[in-house]
Amino acid sequence: MDSIGKTWWVLTGLSVAFLGLCGAFVATSGVAVAHGPAIPLVDTNFISTATARMSAADLIRTGGDISGMECYACHDKKNPPKLKLNAEGDVIVPKEHEDIVMGHGRHHRNNNCFNCHDESNLEALQTRDGRHLKISESPALCGSCHGPTYRDWEAGVHGRTSGYWKRDAGPIDRKVCTSCHNPHSPPFPPRAPAPGPHLLHPNLAKNHTPANPEHH
Amino acid sequence: MPDNNPPAADVSRRSFLLTSAVMASGAAALAASLAPLRHLGDYVTPEQFLQKYYKELTPAEMQKVLDRITREVEKQYQVRPDVRDYKPMNGVEFVYCLNLTRCIGCRKCVHACVGENNQSRNPEIQYIRVLKMPHGSMDTEKGDHNYAPASVPEKGFFYMPIQCQQCKNPPCVKVCPVKATWQETDGITVIDYNWCIGCRYCEAACPYFARRFNWTRPSIPKERLNPTMSYLGNRPRPQGVMEKCHFCTQRTRQGKYPACLEVCPAGARKFGNVLDPDSEVAYILRTKRVFIQLKEELGTSPRFFYYFDV
Repeated sequence: MDSIGKTWWVLTGLSVAFLGLCGAFVATSGVAVAHGPAIPLVDTNFISTATARMSAADLIRTGGDISGMECYACHDKKNPPKLKLNAEGDVIVPKEHEDIVMGHGRHHRNNNCFNCHDESNLEALQTRDGRHLKISESPALCGSCHGPTYRDWEAGVHGRTSGYWKRDAGPIDRKVCTSCHNPHSPPFPPRAPAPGPHLLHPNLAKNHTPANPEHH
Repeated sequence: MPDNNPPAADVSRRSFLLTSAVMASGAAALAASLAPLRHLGDYVTPEQFLQKYYKELTPAEMQKVLDRITREVEKQYQVRPDVRDYKPMNGVEFVYCLNLTRCIGCRKCVHACVGENNQSRNPEIQYIRVLKMPHGSMDTEKGDHNYAPASVPEKGFFYMPIQCQQCKNPPCVKVCPVKATWQETDGITVIDYNWCIGCRYCEAACPYFARRFNWTRPSIPKERLNPTMSYLGNRPRPQGVMEKCHFCTQRTRQGKYPACLEVCPAGARKFGNVLDPDSEVAYILRTKRVFIQLKEELGTSPRFFYYFDV
C-alpha cells in the first residue's frame, strides 16, 4: 500500500468516525437525562400549615359551624342534665353525644363532664377553683390543672406558634390547647406520615438493612 | 517519472472530488460533534462567569446580579420572582430547638422545606431527614430513614429530624477551597451558588450529612416554585453546586419563623434569637433540663439543640 492510499484510509476513517458522532449527537439532542422512575409530587396536605383540629375559638373566628355549641337548642336552661354513671363510676355518654370519646387522663380520673363544663351554663366552662370561662378560653381552663404545660405555653414553648419570631416585625399567632388536642381525648392522634426519601440510586434501598426489620 | 506525469495530471478529477467530499463531510462532522457547546450558555453565561466575589460586590453590582437572576428565573419558569439579598440583622443569633418528646415523625417539615426552598423534586433533594430511633438510645446508627407505617408515631420509637446544625465551628466552611460558603453574623452558614465549584469537600466534611449536591439541573414544577427568593438562600440552583438548610434566610431575616416550624403539627420546633432573653429558644435553654447537641464531642458546637420535656 503506498502512502497516498494510507492517507485515504486514515481520512476516510476519521470522517466516518466524526459522521458517527454527528449522528449520535443529533439522535440524543433534546432527550432529557434519565432520572429513574418519576417521583410523584407530594400531596399538598403534607405542606399545609393547618392545625390538627379546629378549636371552638377557631370556629367562632372563622364563622364555622357552631351549631354543636348551642346547648340550649336541646337542653333546658332551668333543668341541668343529670350524669349517669356505670358500675366503674365512669360517665355514660348519652347517644345524643355519641361522637364524644371519653379519654381524658390515663386513670379515668377526669371522667365527669362538669369537671370542665359549667352545669349552670352549658355553653361555658368552669375551673375546679370556681372560675367561669367562655368556651373559647381553653388555655385558662386547661392551665388550671396542667400548670407546667401552661407555663410553657405562655412562654411560647408548648404548642404551635406561627408568624414572626421578631415581635416588632409582625404578629405572632399562638394556637390554643384545643387547636391541637381534643379536650375529651387529649393525646395527639396518630397520623399518616408523608412519603419518605426516594434515593438517587434505588438499588441501594434494596440492600439497605433497616434498623428494625419487623416494621418492614 | 516527472516526464510522463505532468503536474496537472497529479490530481485527477476523480481524486479531487473524492478528497473534497471526504474533507467537507469531515469538517461538517467535526462541527456537529462540537454542537453541544452551543448549550454552554445554559450552564454558565459570561455574566455569571465574570461575577465578582459576593463580599466584594457593591450594592449597585448586587442589584445587577439580582436583576439578572430575576430574568433567568423568569425565562426558565415563566414566574416573576422577588429576589433579594437579605442581610443578617444586628444583635441577632439564630438558634433552633427541637423537642424530641413532641416530634411524631410525620415528615411534614421535610416537604414544607422542599416547597419553601425550591429544592429539586426529581431527582429529590431534601434538607431534612427524619430518623426513626428505638427508645433508650441516642445512637443514630440505629436510626431508619425509610419507615413507612400506616400511621406515626409507632410504639417504642422516637423520631429525630436532622438538618444543617448551623455550627459555630463549621467544618464545611474550613474545607471550602474557594470560600463559596461562610458563616454570617447571625449564625447562618450560607453558600454562594455562583461561586461554588462543586468539589463536594464540604459534603465530606459535614458530620451531619446536611449538604446536598445537584447532580443534575434541578427540576421544579413551575406551579410549585416559591417566588420569594434570597440570593444566599432559596433561588433556583444551577447544576453542579452544593446546597443545604439556611434557616430560610428569605423568611427569618424578615422576622418570620422558618417553614419547617410553621408546618409542624406537634409544635416540636422552636426558633428564635438566642440573644433575646424573652425568646422561646432562650426560655428552653434556660429552663429545660435535658438537651443535647448532636455529636457534640466533635467540637462543632451546633446552634441546633435537641431537648426533651416531661
